[in-house]
Amino acid sequence: MRALQIAATGMSAQQMRVDTVANNLANMSTTAYNARRAEFADLHYQQHTRAGTISAADGTVVPTGVQLGLGARPASVSMQVQQGSLTMTGGDLDLAIEGRGWLEVTLPDGRPAYTRDGGLKRTGEGLIVTSDGYEVAPGITIPTEARQISINAQGEVWAYFVDRVEPERRGQLSLAGFTNERGLEALGSNLFVETEASGPALSSSPGEEGLGTVRQGYLEESSVDPVRELTEMIKAQRGYELNAKVITAADQMLAATTQVR
Amino acid sequence: MENATYTTLTRQSGLLREIQVLAHNIANLSTTGFRREGLLFSEYMRNLDGEDEPLSMAAANAHQTYLTQGAVTMTGGTLDLAIEGDGFFLIETPQGERLTRAGHFSTDASGEMVTPDGFRLLDLGGAPVFIPADAGPISIARDGTVSAGGQPLAQIGLVQPEDPATLTRASGTLHAASGPVLPVEGGVVLQGFLEESNVNPISEMARMIEVQRAYEAGQKFLDREDERIRSVVQTLGR
Repeated sequence: MRALQIAATGMSAQQMRVDTVANNLANMSTTAYNARRAEFADLHYQQHTRAGTISAADGTVVPTGVQLGLGARPASVSMQVQQGSLTMTGGDLDLAIEGRGWLEVTLPDGRPAYTRDGGLKRTGEGLIVTSDGYEVAPGITIPTEARQISINAQGEVWAYFVDRVEPERRGQLSLAGFTNERGLEALGSNLFVETEASGPALSSSPGEEGLGTVRQGYLEESSVDPVRELTEMIKAQRGYELNAKVITAADQMLAATTQVR
Repeated sequence: MENATYTTLTRQSGLLREIQVLAHNIANLSTTGFRREGLLFSEYMRNLDGEDEPLSMAAANAHQTYLTQGAVTMTGGTLDLAIEGDGFFLIETPQGERLTRAGHFSTDASGEMVTPDGFRLLDLGGAPVFIPADAGPISIARDGTVSAGGQPLAQIGLVQPEDPATLTRASGTLHAASGPVLPVEGGVVLQGFLEESNVNPISEMARMIEVQRAYEAGQKFLDREDERIRSVVQTLGR
């Protein structure tokens, strides 16, 4: 009775859909979070009667045959790369990226990682880091005595001092772009690393090479749409129940078989 | 004497196949671009030795893919495409060209549009659709023209098999056409939408109950047949 296993693949697919929705809803207020979406594909088909089989000596062929499918499988759970809306925070190291592009950070093991979470901080030495304390490329420091920090759309960091009128340019933040942003591997903590599928990072200044610009004093909100997630959840729940019904029906048919003497 | 039993058996095994098809349809309730499938039963006649009336049996010997339009949902994804009306996207796989209605594409590392399984989407001319990394926002017109910043990059072609009956199914929501495929005139591509599975849960459920009851009726019949033969043996053996 393959119907039992087939319905089980359907149930695990719907289960995965609920898991994705749960993760999206849990990240409704995560800075610069991109909603994920589970995609499914059908499984292998069994050929009972192959299409094109000759059914008579005069060369008549079976036009369609019988192909029995074996259920569903997850095809991908991918990010919907979308610009989230911006909220004003007023923080001088809060940056939102308007358009494509990722901030490059250096992980403790020296590998580069990428993030769109622009809630940056300063260390005791004045180095610009992420909330987790990872250095943001290219490693700009702001002296302790700086009165104010200004970051323009091109990512240039300027420091103002009490005793000087002229601001001092401390460096320029770079952004990285990818051919396939959906191919990035999520590490958690809003961090991503490049993979074979994403292609290499193409670093450039904000506003160049099709990359977005930087806006100081704003953060990018999560792009999760609660209404869409709830409708997804309802559909997944009903889909799960329908698959469970198939299992019941298949079970009752099996029971009918065993009752024959 | 066992003919009645054998005839019922052909029906029962067909119903088991049908419940499998229904389970497959319901399992793919949320598979993007999935096309519902159905099983067709036909009568199978067999001449018996020394009798005028041939014996009729049931055989599930053909399947059908229902190509009705599925509901279109908004996802907002740049490379999520839904087809409204007839047509399929043309996909290049190692086994040859395949057709699909599942329009959840992304770009691979080299910038070519691919399916979730990594197979390349082909344009009208049969070439992969290439999107440069620095292209900026991509827009895809209703006729399948892919453009970035007002510059056309490619035109995604919609195709259809000359004879829809030649379509066979392959895993990954793909279809293989054994005959020639032709471009579709006036096919509409919607950007930011995906076409849902065209499985209708209500009709699948109704059919499932029907199949289940028919199967139980068949088993009941086999049971009665068994009793009848048993009593014949007992009566005659006395």
